[in-house]
Amino acid sequence: MAAPDQLMFARRLGPAGRLFIWLLIGVACVVADARYHALEGLRSGFSVLTQPMRVAMRAPSDVASELGGFFVRHRQLQQERDALLAERAQQSVSVNLARELARENAELRVLLQLQTRPGLQAVRAAMLYKGYDWFAQRITLDQGAGSGLRGGLPVLDARGLMGQVSRVYPGSSEVTLVSSPQQLTPVFVERTGQRGLAAGSGQGRLELRYMPAQTDIRPGDRLLTSGIDRVYPAGLPVASVTRVSRSQSSPYLRVECLPLAGLEHSRAVLVLIAEPQMMQPPTTRPPVNAPEGGKS
Amino acid sequence: MINAAQKAGNWRRVLGTLTLAVLLEQLPWASGVLAWLPDFVLVGVLFWVLHQPAKVGFGVAFMLGLLADFQNGAVFGQHAIAYVIGVYLVLFLRLRLLQFDPFRQAAQLFPVLLGVQLIVLLVGWLAVNPPVGLGILMPVLGSTVLWYLIALFVRLLHGKGLPGHA
Repeated sequence: MAAPDQLMFARRLGPAGRLFIWLLIGVACVVADARYHALEGLRSGFSVLTQPMRVAMRAPSDVASELGGFFVRHRQLQQERDALLAERAQQSVSVNLARELARENAELRVLLQLQTRPGLQAVRAAMLYKGYDWFAQRITLDQGAGSGLRGGLPVLDARGLMGQVSRVYPGSSEVTLVSSPQQLTPVFVERTGQRGLAAGSGQGRLELRYMPAQTDIRPGDRLLTSGIDRVYPAGLPVASVTRVSRSQSSPYLRVECLPLAGLEHSRAVLVLIAEPQMMQPPTTRPPVNAPEGGKS
Repeated sequence: MINAAQKAGNWRRVLGTLTLAVLLEQLPWASGVLAWLPDFVLVGVLFWVLHQPAKVGFGVAFMLGLLADFQNGAVFGQHAIAYVIGVYLVLFLRLRLLQFDPFRQAAQLFPVLLGVQLIVLLVGWLAVNPPVGLGILMPVLGSTVLWYLIALFVRLLHGKGLPGHA
C-alpha cells in the first residue's frame, strides 16, 4: 500500500493491481458483448484474421480425404448408385403427387385470394467444424455474408431442420443448432396438428414444452415446423418424439424428442434464403403478432 | 533462480510457440478428441509466464483469451478473464513452481488449470446460459498432461535441469 506522501504510480503495479485492471476490462468486454452486442466488429476482425489459418490447417486433412475418396471401391460406388436409383424412383412418385398437390393448392389459394408463398432460394454450404462452446451448440459453415446469408435464416440438411444462422462473417457463419439450450422452434405434431414449442435441452436433444396433460401425443410422432414464427417455412421436419411422461408436480407433459437432422455429422447443409411471408388472415383485422421463434 | 528455458527463451521462440498453439486450435479435430483436447494457447501462455514473466503477461493472455472466445463462439471476455486469472495464479506460485521437477510441476498446475476452466464456466453461466453438464472440465486433464510433456521436454532438451536437484 502506498503511503500518503509516496507517489502511487512511480513504480510498476504489482500483479494484483494489474490483475484487477485486466479483470475490469474483461468484465466490460463481457457486458458490452452479452448485453449490447457492441463487439461484432471485433468478431469479424478475428474471423478475417483466422480464416486463412483455418484454410491452411485444414488443407492436409482435405487432401487426405480427397485421396481417400479416390480409392473408394468400385463395387461400393455401384451399390450406392443402385440404392440411389431405387430411392429416386420412389421419390419421383411422391414428387408427382406433391406437384399435383401444389397445383391444386395454388388454385385453391387463388380462389381464397391468399398470398402465394414465395419460392425459397437455397444456398448450399458445408460444415467447417463444430464449435466447442459448452453454453450453446453451434457449428460453423463455409458460406458467409458473401453468399447472401444473414442472421436468422433456417439451416437444414437432407433429413430435417438443423438450426438457425446466428452470426455471419464475411466468409463463414455460425449456426445455432435446434438442440442448443434456449433455442426455441415453433412446431406442430404431424399426426394431430397440435401446435407447440420445441426447446433445445442440450446434449443433442429437444423437449416439447407446455403440452397439456391430456394432449394426444405418443413416441414416434414427428414434429414439423409450424411456420407461424416468420422464421422457418412451414412443414420442415424437426424431431421425432422419443418419450412422453407425466409428472405429478406439473400440469404439462414432459415430451422428449430427438432431432431428425444429423446435427453432429451432417457435412452438407442448405441455408434457405427467402423469408417466408406471413400469411394474412382473410379478415381486415391487423395480423396478430406471432411469437418470435428462437433468438436471432 | 537461473533456469534453462529462461536463457533460451527469446522473442522468436515465444512468438513461435504461441503461434503454433493458435494454429493447433484451428485444426479440424474429431469431436471425440475435442472433448479432451488440451487448451494449447492457455498452456503456452502459462508456460511463458512461468519462464519469461517479463515478456508474456496479462496483456498477451488477455488478447489470446479474446481470440479463444472468438474461436469458441463464446461471449467476448469469457476466456480472457479466465486466462488473466490463470496468469495471476502462476505469477503467485512462480518461485515455487520453478523448484519442481516436471511431474510435480504438472501436479501443481492442475488446480490452476482447473481454476481457469471453472472461471470460464462461471462467466459463461452468468453471462449466457447455465452450462450443459460438466464436460467442460475434461480438457483440464489434457492440458495437465500437455504441461507435463512440455516440462519434461524442456528438461531433457537442456540436460541438467534445475541446479541443486541434478
